[in-house]
Amino acid sequence: MAGNAEISGARGPSNFSAEAVAELNEIVSHYPEARAAMLPALWIAQREYGGEITSEAISEVAWRLGRPVVEVEGVATFYTMYHLGKRGRRHLEVCTCLTCAVLGAADTVRALEDRLGIKVGQTTPDGEFSLAEVECLNWCEAGTVVQVGGRYYGNVTPDNVDALIEAVRTAADATATAQADGIVKVHLGKAGASVSPSSQAESFDG
Amino acid sequence: MSAELVNIVINGVPLTVPAGEMIIESARRIGVEIPHFCYHPRLSKEAGANCRMCLVEVSAPRRNPDGSVVVAKMPKPQTSCSLPASEGMVIETETPAIVEARRGILEFLLINHPLDCPICDRGGECPLQNNTLHYGPPTTRFVEQKRHLPKAFPLSDYVVLDRERCIHCARCTRFSGDVAGDAQLGFLKRGADMEVSPHTGERFTSLFSGNTIELCPVGALLSRSYRFRGRPWDLMTQKSVCTQCSNGCNIKLDHRAGRFVRVNARVNEAVNEEWTCDRGKFGMEYLARDDRLQAPLIRRGARFEQATWDEALAVVARALGDAGAKSAFLGGTRSANEDLYVVQRLFREVLASNNLDHRMGPDFVAVGAGAMASDGRPTPPVSFGELEDASVFVAFGADMAWEQPMAYLRLRKAWRRGTIRLVSVAAKGSAEDERPNSLASMAAAVVRHDAGHEVEAAWLMLRQVVAAIGSDDPLTDEVRRQLAGVKLSPEAIGCSPQELATAAAVIVGEAPAEPTATGKLAIWIGETAVRRPGMKDILAALGAVAALSRYDGRVSVPATEVNEQGARDLGISPDTGPGYRAVRPAGLNTAAILSGVADGSVRALWISGTDVVGRYWDPPAAIRALEACPFLVVTDLHLTPTAQMADVVLPVASVAERNGTFTNVEGRVQQFLKAYDPPSGVRQEWRIAMQVAARLGSAMHYASSREMLADIAATVPIYVGCGPDALGDEGKRWFAEEVAGQ
Amino acid sequence: MGELRVLLEHRDTPGIETLDVYRSTGGYEGLARAVSMSRADVIAEVKASGLRGRGGAGFPTWIKWQGIPADAPMVRYVVCNADEGEPGTFKDRELMLKQPHMVVEGMAIAGYATNARYGFVYIRGEFLESAQAIRRAIDEAYAQGYLGPGVCGSSHSFDLFVHMGAGSYECGEETALMSSLMGERGQPRAKPPHAPLPVISGLWQRPTLINNVETYSCVPHIIRRGGAWYASMGTERSKGTKLFSVSGHVKRPGNYEIELGTPLPELVELAGGVTGGSLKAVIPGGSSVPILTAAQCGDVRLDYESCQAAGTMLGSGGFMVFNEHTDIVALMHVTARFYAHESCGKCTPCREGTRWMYQIFRRITAGQGRPEDIDLLLSICNNIDGRSYCPLGDAAAWPIRASIQRFRDEYEYWIANGTSPLGATATPKVS
Ligand SMILES: Cc1cc2nc3c(=O)[nH]c(=O)nc-3n(C[C@H](O)[C@H](O)[C@H](O)COP(=O)(O)O)c2cc1C
Ligand code: SF4
Ligand code: FES
Repeated sequence: MAGNAEISGARGPSNFSAEAVAELNEIVSHYPEARAAMLPALWIAQREYGGEITSEAISEVAWRLGRPVVEVEGVATFYTMYHLGKRGRRHLEVCTCLTCAVLGAADTVRALEDRLGIKVGQTTPDGEFSLAEVECLNWCEAGTVVQVGGRYYGNVTPDNVDALIEAVRTAADATATAQADGIVKVHLGKAGASVSPSSQAESFDG
Repeated sequence: MSAELVNIVINGVPLTVPAGEMIIESARRIGVEIPHFCYHPRLSKEAGANCRMCLVEVSAPRRNPDGSVVVAKMPKPQTSCSLPASEGMVIETETPAIVEARRGILEFLLINHPLDCPICDRGGECPLQNNTLHYGPPTTRFVEQKRHLPKAFPLSDYVVLDRERCIHCARCTRFSGDVAGDAQLGFLKRGADMEVSPHTGERFTSLFSGNTIELCPVGALLSRSYRFRGRPWDLMTQKSVCTQCSNGCNIKLDHRAGRFVRVNARVNEAVNEEWTCDRGKFGMEYLARDDRLQAPLIRRGARFEQATWDEALAVVARALGDAGAKSAFLGGTRSANEDLYVVQRLFREVLASNNLDHRMGPDFVAVGAGAMASDGRPTPPVSFGELEDASVFVAFGADMAWEQPMAYLRLRKAWRRGTIRLVSVAAKGSAEDERPNSLASMAAAVVRHDAGHEVEAAWLMLRQVVAAIGSDDPLTDEVRRQLAGVKLSPEAIGCSPQELATAAAVIVGEAPAEPTATGKLAIWIGETAVRRPGMKDILAALGAVAALSRYDGRVSVPATEVNEQGARDLGISPDTGPGYRAVRPAGLNTAAILSGVADGSVRALWISGTDVVGRYWDPPAAIRALEACPFLVVTDLHLTPTAQMADVVLPVASVAERNGTFTNVEGRVQQFLKAYDPPSGVRQEWRIAMQVAARLGSAMHYASSREMLADIAATVPIYVGCGPDALGDEGKRWFAEEVAGQ
Repeated sequence: MGELRVLLEHRDTPGIETLDVYRSTGGYEGLARAVSMSRADVIAEVKASGLRGRGGAGFPTWIKWQGIPADAPMVRYVVCNADEGEPGTFKDRELMLKQPHMVVEGMAIAGYATNARYGFVYIRGEFLESAQAIRRAIDEAYAQGYLGPGVCGSSHSFDLFVHMGAGSYECGEETALMSSLMGERGQPRAKPPHAPLPVISGLWQRPTLINNVETYSCVPHIIRRGGAWYASMGTERSKGTKLFSVSGHVKRPGNYEIELGTPLPELVELAGGVTGGSLKAVIPGGSSVPILTAAQCGDVRLDYESCQAAGTMLGSGGFMVFNEHTDIVALMHVTARFYAHESCGKCTPCREGTRWMYQIFRRITAGQGRPEDIDLLLSICNNIDGRSYCPLGDAAAWPIRASIQRFRDEYEYWIANGTSPLGATATPKVS
């Protein structure tokens, strides 16, 4: 098995807070290999680096997990939820997949573009909002569905996009950093305390 | 792979193969080549089976609920590159369904592949081009926008990447991650946007990057130096050996119109498997340099003048003849065995001088043979195979991936297999720690000490091992005395006691997860240690470490230059002749020769192929000596700094321009063959030596390197098994058993 | 036949997401009972129930459980596939959000039955709300001794972790899920006949059981009320009940639990019937399964076998209803875009083929279609189907091929006229 030692953990950028490092260490303890904490580590990074996975963030995850940088970049660029460029503090993701499309997602997108004064893929000048189309969010019963940060909003139509924008403006969990923080937190809990990597590797094997 | 055999049928032909063998390999046994791209037997299977070109139809026995067994056809075709053979499997590789499947896969691979074959370096030797010819669709049905990506993107000084041509087979990424271990190449993004790349903004600095060029099944990864230099079909190729280090990688030397063009790896399972390192693959470019010496040069005052060979040889013969026993020879570590054998005969038999040496370090301990057996019989150096099978390997003062590239790849292979534990001992800030390919990155123990304290580090290691074993039983009183004299603490040389203790535990064989109680321990002493005073102590201390270890331990000072081992074996030493026969009286060693030219005890010096000014451990001393040298003749390809100080410079033929043999770091004698004619004005070193001897009235009669090798095999005991007919393409390690009779 | 609530019986009970309320409905009785039985007996109950995987493949659950070498001296893992990414499916989301303890209990039982020491719930990154519900349930379960050392006072210990994805449909494929869980790009791993099943060599080469959220949710009921009871529901070969996520042109979209074998039209009625016009087509099992024409729908029963017979699949139960204004070509344009976007890129046919098909659809719906494009699409489907590394490739080909076979005239109209056959009322709108 490719252990952490394989690429010597040359230190690099160090912008994780002490709390973040503690969180990472606990999450690492859930697995027999530090590498398995790659996705959570990138979530921590997305929070610690202000809602964006920068090249620095990738380097920090790499040395903290003792993995090759290109491997971390490969993972970060594979998954769609890691923000590899600057986005708005509140990133509106409109589902335009099957059911939502059939129920008029396209019109909802246009309406949001008008209200926010930006096109899909753009960010408002004040950096508050950005807009994107995404594939199925799997809450089709409530099409058109819009995800903002960690929260789903259902039955969005051109007629109620204003209400949506208002709700989002104030919702605490609607920011990219709040979302990343929420995702990091669900990894943590009692389970963490009871297990250490060694106990995983050795409790039965040996 | 288990040794169990299974019976399978491929295209109606029944055959028996090892269980678990990949079907694509089994098919080869009956001459069926299944087209493929991503498959490579030396690359990991996990990231493979992605190109889908090697699909075959498979039927396999299935047990019914009622216990009866039927051979049922699998609903989907299977990739033969990842399909392990199992009892009763029936394979079809040429059915209409498979023919159609291949056409479909090739169409997919081609829709986004640029149509620039005419200007692609891979053209003519491109698996994609060839497979398309045999199995591809007649025309394209693709009318959409092709994928557009940067072309000719430089990854490093050696490699360019054309992302449009990439077919995402993951060969290069698997090589860099698994085989070379630098893990500098990976895939970014996903789906049709997936790209092979180093980390954005970084370069591909691997010491083994060149291999990816040969592994790439299209023209996506190309050599910057070879780019647009030639087309495969107008290249000629010759079997040769890389001259850039002692590992002696087997290479294909490609040339056109009498000029070197490029190097590709030549398979030799015992040596380089099918790899090369960048030092070699790109370092061989020196053969194409324009500043080759074309004729002999004789110094007239401050400058050189071109001379005829007659003039030059006359001068050299006179000078050496006059000096007689006061003549000396230095270098030879880049010369062929044949050159060395004749040269040492000239000095020993004609000039009656034993003043020959090839060593450029400060100490002159006997390291030639791997070791001297108790009966005084030389034992050959450690082989790559033995290295791979060792239980523990210690690199002491070595920058392994750079100094011993193929040894490094073997060690990494063993490490991935989990059968070896590695220890790296080196000075802080040593090159090793800057490399993308380093032993330390795999090591079970890494010891770092302040620069210049190799000797202390060795003694401390011994002390730690004695402590770990709890006894110093087999040690000689001499070593005990020296050890007792070692008072300093690890901290005193900036080395952590924990690191030292971990290393000792691994070496002694006490660590947990110990693979085998028995096994071999190999300790290799590298360049940094060799080029500093103290080798005697280091050998004494580490020799004791090897003796104490529970493993069967052995210390080596591996050769680093292409034929350094040959120079050791064939007696380019003051105290041992060919085959390590002791010579009396012993001649002068390198240090004595250099001081001798100053004080007159050496009157004429021949330096061969070694830039002493650059290689001697104490360059100022070398320069002072050579300036004072009464007569200096240098044989070389180029006007090196050393050659510039000579009285006569004789141009010699390169490895591409002649036949001959080198002996690699394992003591393996390997042939290289002439690729093209030398420039008219140069000669082979052994001819030069013969012509000098003749001028001094002692003719030697060799017509070819083959005759010389035959003579070497006949007269040098350890080379008895290495005659011209014994070598073949794989070469042959010398061995001393043959001596027993004599 | 018809609606029959087992998993959803208490979906509207206030506080059902809390441990106390869940327990008041018989929650954790299944786990308590399981640990009092032998591992073999627990698996026997699951076998008797006839439960089949609810994640899409419909593989008999007990065979997987049985396949785990429960006594071998090594770590074993139990994984819950909560990546729910199949377009049209939203049942796992509700189960985790509303009844997280049911999922946790099911995993704990599976952990006991397979002698697994650790469990992971792999939840897609978008499902933060569901994940938070699962997190709370796990913490409550630890506090009450249903998880951790000595589950339910037994000698069996089981630790359960949450692992979040980050945006990739492919990570729902079980081997890609394992790659993702081990920190890699979400690309699939070798399977039989090329490598052992996950139950033999899964996460970190250890035996690994992977089931779907709904599959695990069935288990507490089966153990508590007996496999025979569960098997008494459904048809001969499709036992029990199944959740269907009904969406699209219906009055009351949502999750419905019906007895397997229920006639398809009954489910449409349960959801309040078709809105906005007459029924045109149904995709019964998520975007990956072949589409059915209204005419075909009449006599299809919702069980694995009769769906198969009708040339489609039950899949994950993503039941999408489309009225007469639905533009099938536009619908498939969206489908093709989805698979091109989600292809992991590892293998040639899917990486290149899905993008190519999407390019062709873009051209057709931009009025640039050519007559030969229809057969070209069919041919591309055939060149992907069965040749890709993992089933995503097949899943990308099936719906397109079926749509051409069943609605070829609409393709021809688009190509001939450069516009939708349904005129201004057409939905969905694309490009
Ligand atoms: C592309 C693809 C996506 C999948 N997505 C999911 C998913 O989101 N959830 C799921 O439970 N199974 C999914 N599956 C099926 C899983 O591979 C696996 O069969 C299932 O999790 C097994 O659990 P079960 O036996 O309980 O159904 C997917 C399969 C494929 C090929
Ligand atoms: S079919 Fe191939 S490219 Fe597509 S998801 Fe599977 S492995 Fe990846
Ligand atoms: S060679 Fe077998 S899939 Fe590529």
